[in-house]
Order: sequence, then C-alpha cells, then structure tokens
Amino acid sequence: MRNKRLFILMIGLILFIAMLGFTSGRTGLSWPERFVNDAFGTVQGALYRPVGAVTEFFRDLGRLSDVYKENEQLRLTVAQYTQDKIRYNQLESENARLKDELGFTERQKQLYNYKYLIAQVVASSSNPYDKTIKINRGAHDGVKPKMAVQTVDGLVGIVSKVSEFTSTVMPITELDPTSSDRISISATVLGKEDQTFGIVDYDKERNMLQMSKIDENAPIKEGDLVITSGLVNVLPKGILIGTVVSTQVGDFGLTHTATIKPAAKFDHLTEVFVVVAPDVDAP
Amino acid sequence: MRFNRTILLTLALVLIQTSIVPWLVPYQWSDRLLPNLAFIMTVYVALFGGRHAAFLFGLGFGLLEDLLFYGHLMGSYGFGMALLGYLIGLVSERRPRTLAYTLLAIGVGSYLLDTIVYLVYRLFQLTDVTYGFAVYWQILPTLLLQLIIALVLYLPVRRRLLKSASVSGEENAA
Repeated sequence: MRNKRLFILMIGLILFIAMLGFTSGRTGLSWPERFVNDAFGTVQGALYRPVGAVTEFFRDLGRLSDVYKENEQLRLTVAQYTQDKIRYNQLESENARLKDELGFTERQKQLYNYKYLIAQVVASSSNPYDKTIKINRGAHDGVKPKMAVQTVDGLVGIVSKVSEFTSTVMPITELDPTSSDRISISATVLGKEDQTFGIVDYDKERNMLQMSKIDENAPIKEGDLVITSGLVNVLPKGILIGTVVSTQVGDFGLTHTATIKPAAKFDHLTEVFVVVAPDVDAP
Repeated sequence: MRFNRTILLTLALVLIQTSIVPWLVPYQWSDRLLPNLAFIMTVYVALFGGRHAAFLFGLGFGLLEDLLFYGHLMGSYGFGMALLGYLIGLVSERRPRTLAYTLLAIGVGSYLLDTIVYLVYRLFQLTDVTYGFAVYWQILPTLLLQLIIALVLYLPVRRRLLKSASVSGEENAA
C-alpha cells in the first residue's frame, strides 16, 4: 500500500515536470485552452471594468487638489505640442517627398507605419513569477504573439499567448535577464538615437529597469528619455520605456549601465494599446 | 461536503481573485499581496471532504489557475495544489476540525505552496530572486492576507458547504 502511494507520487512528479518543460517557451495554445481563456475572459471583463471604474473614481476624489496643478502642466504641454505638430507636418511631407525621389520601395515606406489597437484589460494574474495581464483582444482582431503593448505613458509588455477573443500580456518586468526564454528590448535615447544603444531588462529586487551594454562614450545622462530602438525585430521603434535615474560603470568596466524608472505603470491598468507593425514580409 | 456548491463557489472566487482583488490591493503592494482563494478552498475541501477529493479539487483548480496566468510555463499551481491538498488531507485525517487547526493548515499550506511555485520557477531559471527575498517580499504578506480571508470564509463554509450531519465538527470525514 505504501509502495503504491509512493509509485503514484513519482509518476505524478515526472508527469508534471514533463508538462512544465513542455509548456515553457511554447507560443501557441490548443483549442481547450483557448476556449477556457475566452470563456473566463468574458466574465472577468464584466467584473474588472466596473470595479475598476468605481475604485478609480474614489481615487480621483482623493486627489482632487492635484487637478489644478495638473491642468496647468497639461496646458503648457498642449502649447508645446501644437508647435511641434506644425514642424512635424512639414518634416513628414518633406520626408515623403525625399523618399519618393530616392526611389524607396513600397515595403520600405510602410515599415514604420504602425497601427494601434485599443484593448481593455480584463484580469491580472496572482502568480508572483508570472504577473501577466489579460486583454480583451485576440487572434480575431489581428493580435499575434510578441506584439508590443503600451499605455499612453509608455511600454507595458509583450503579447505572450493569444486566444480567439482574449490574449495574455507579459509585462516587461517579467523579462528577467537570467531567464531562459528572455526577449531582449533594444533601447536608445530620445534625441541621440545614432549614438546610444543598450539592452533593457528588469531588476526585481530594486523595482527598476536597467539598461546595460551602453558604449562608454555614449552621451547618456540623468533625465534622458529611453525609447525602443526597433533594431532587433521584436519591438517596434520609438515606444517610451522610461527616464534615466543614474548611470554607472558596468560589470567589466568596458561598458556603462543606466538605471531607468519605468514610464508606464504595470498594475491597475484599464486601457492599453497593442502596436501592430505592418506585415511587410507578407506577399 | 456539498461538492456542487463548493465548485461553483470556488469558480466565483477565482473570478474575484483575478478581476476584483487586483483593484482592492494598493498600488505599492500589488506584487506582494497575491491571495490564492482557490487554494484556501482546497484546504477546506482537504479538511472537510477527505484527501482524495482535495487532490482532484486542487489539481483541477490549480491547472485552471495555471492556464489563466499562463506566461512562462504552466503546471506549477496544478502540481502544488494537488500535492498539498492530498498531504493536508492525509495529515489531518484523525484530528478535530477546530478553527485554530484550520488556520494553521491554511498558513502552513500557503507558505509551502508559494515555496513550491518559487522552486519551480527557480528550477527553470525564470526568476533570479533569492529565497529570502521571496519570503520577505511576497510569501509572508500573502500568508497573512490568506489567513484573514480564510477567517472570513470559515463560517460560510461550515454553514453552507457541509452537510448538516457533519457540522458537529468532531468526527472524521469519510
């Protein structure tokens, strides 16, 4: 009797280790998984959004006094934005004209023409090592694995699993530098795109992002805005990641690292955008 | 134990855990307080419904949670909850089901479950935080919150989910 119990335990252990190994690094989902995810996603959405609206309302009531200051700041930003918009329109038309004259192909012209799919968050995970969030857009709406997800503030994460009507997003805080299935975020600094380059990952114990492998002559300093570079093909170009807090010499003294405060929040999210890069390689 | 009701209640609790609890936890604490309501129900099943029922219950809801949280890999909760459901059922077979014993089982169980999950992710090199940090940062705060939730659920579980014959509390679950 004892032996039988031990035998079953061993078989169970082996089965589970096989399952853990098999499911790590897999991108597709089988149809029962997609069905359960979608069925739960519908109900989760019906709960998450109203509760979120109510709690946000009470939180906003609490910080009513800050609204005046925030309004002032936003007005300044809008003024700045209007000026930039005029300049941007000129540059864009000039850029299009130059591309025409230089004979860019249609594929090259469409390369950075991103579309943004708006999605509502419906649930968030309670596994401390897989803190994924779930959004209510799926394969039906054109979401594919490894697409970037952002809020208005900045980069949030990467789509990891896609069902028919929902998908799971892995926040960039889970992209651990030592993990076996990591995705590197190649990053650069706004305004110095051709001089700075680094790889961003997350330091869980300090709650900060870290940009490593920066050239020691790169002009990076405190307060700089770090954006995705789009050089490695996973993430699109120009999504805000965060602000540089400090820079220091890296592990071997040859490169520098910078500590970055993330621009986006990763919890209590309501609305996110899935960045759809044009499918240039499709026939 | 009334299993149909228990399963329905636990499904509702899983929905609450993924969609409502994240809003109630303050922003600074959102990666420290991660209660697992389905696990609390698994311990109740282990105490009042026997170890085999708890094994199947933990396996089913563990795999469901794994699927809903699927990011890197799945199976850690299925494994941990099935194993702990069975073990808690086995250990407490001939003991009185007092409130203190229930809380002790849930406390020890949730500590062990979080440790198992940590070890699985550590084994597959998906996390590099030290065990001491994991205990301080996530496991202990979550444990305290789970104890409070277990206290809140204790009376409804005894009143509604047990058949009236076994409410007296002293006899063994079949």
